Amino acid sequence: MTKRIVIPGELVTEERKKLGSHVFVSEGKIYSDSMGLVNDEADFASVVPLEGKYMPEQGDLIIGVIGDEKFSVYMVDVNSFYQTAISKKELREMLKPGAVISAKVSRVNELNEVDLENPRAFFGGEIIELSPVKIPRFIGREASMLNLIKDWTKSNIVVGRNGRIWAKGGDTDLLKKAVKKIDKEAHMENLTNRMEEFLEKNAPKNGVKKEVMEEDMEEGEN
Amino acid sequence: MGKKVQEITYVDSKGKRLDGRKVDELRPIKIKVGVIPRADGSAYLEWGQNKVYASVHGPRECLPKHTANPYKAVVKFNYRMASFSVPDRKNPKPGRREIEISKVSGEALERAIFLEKFPNTQIDVNVEIVDSNAGSRIAALTAASVACADAGLPMRDMVCGTGVGRAGGKIIVDLTKDEEDAPDAVDIPIAILPNSKEIVLLQLDGVMPKKEWEKAYEMAVDASMKVYEVQKQALKDKYLNGDDKK
Repeated sequence: MTKRIVIPGELVTEERKKLGSHVFVSEGKIYSDSMGLVNDEADFASVVPLEGKYMPEQGDLIIGVIGDEKFSVYMVDVNSFYQTAISKKELREMLKPGAVISAKVSRVNELNEVDLENPRAFFGGEIIELSPVKIPRFIGREASMLNLIKDWTKSNIVVGRNGRIWAKGGDTDLLKKAVKKIDKEAHMENLTNRMEEFLEKNAPKNGVKKEVMEEDMEEGEN
Repeated sequence: MGKKVQEITYVDSKGKRLDGRKVDELRPIKIKVGVIPRADGSAYLEWGQNKVYASVHGPRECLPKHTANPYKAVVKFNYRMASFSVPDRKNPKPGRREIEISKVSGEALERAIFLEKFPNTQIDVNVEIVDSNAGSRIAALTAASVACADAGLPMRDMVCGTGVGRAGGKIIVDLTKDEEDAPDAVDIPIAILPNSKEIVLLQLDGVMPKKEWEKAYEMAVDASMKVYEVQKQALKDKYLNGDDKK
């Protein structure tokens, strides 16, 4: 299963295939509309994008940051085109600007404006950003990648579809390195296997934490 | 006024031009993708002496709000020349020329991007010319289109182009400043979508007979396709370079 990289306007296939995402038809041929990967053996002619902004969809779990506070609502930055509002009634806690919440997208209108439901406030922790188109790689097939990372870092992780990962506790430094690796190598195959190797190599071991880290650093250089 | 100093031969008997190129040869082009980390997409381009940075931000909320279009995104193209990009210092205030180029280049890009997917938003394209020597508007557009692809915007096609024109009675591709200053010079910047060969930008200074234009157009399309190959390679290199390490 080899995949090839295509650029916008590049031919995906001349065959008549079912249309997947990020493709368009012109004069009977199927072209890609963005930078991405094509699997020529698949039944669907589709492109997995490598770049792009977050396009909200109904049912997405997203991670938002509280910006402004109005009389009865909080304005939330959801890393999309516009800010969105959540009612103060839905949250038990008082929130300040900069507070982190997770919520589900209940509705998206034709202008890509978002309505949220089921907000939940987070305390502490940190947000790690990753391109929204690479979030599926971070989760992996049947959450394989996410479970692998959770096993090694022991962090509490909540993944937002909008390109934000909230993490608390555990080895967040290792998590950040892992996210960086996914960001760099999202277009390459066998990412989960390579991630396992990477984590094994970089994870500080109990007791001899420091020494192992230093050794690994040197190995990493070579 | 003064006497004619010297007749310059723009194309010699061997078909070589002032800088040693053939009539249908482009200046060397180099493109690097993703040079500005804070931008959604960016590109750096060197085309002969032209040096161009392009960055793309968005699609994002359209401000001021009265400029928004509820049916499609608005492309806000900014072509700016650095004050040190030309031999004599250029006033950094955007002049007539820059505003015009911003308008036509923005319209060329609009044709390539699927704007209707992002209603009510704007796409900011900023192009800074750091060094210039004729053909900078096409260099700007070429870099901008690479930056748009790097930003992950859904596009019908890339935008590629070249300058074409006449100097010393010969039709030549990708004129330099010296050739543009020829007494009979005609300069035509032209940009196309490589798949459909649709013209998205065409400007003309001077007068040109129809026959010459037909020949010039063919040469311009051929040269533009070479530019397209460079763009394609630059975009793919961003990812393929990673493969070498593993």
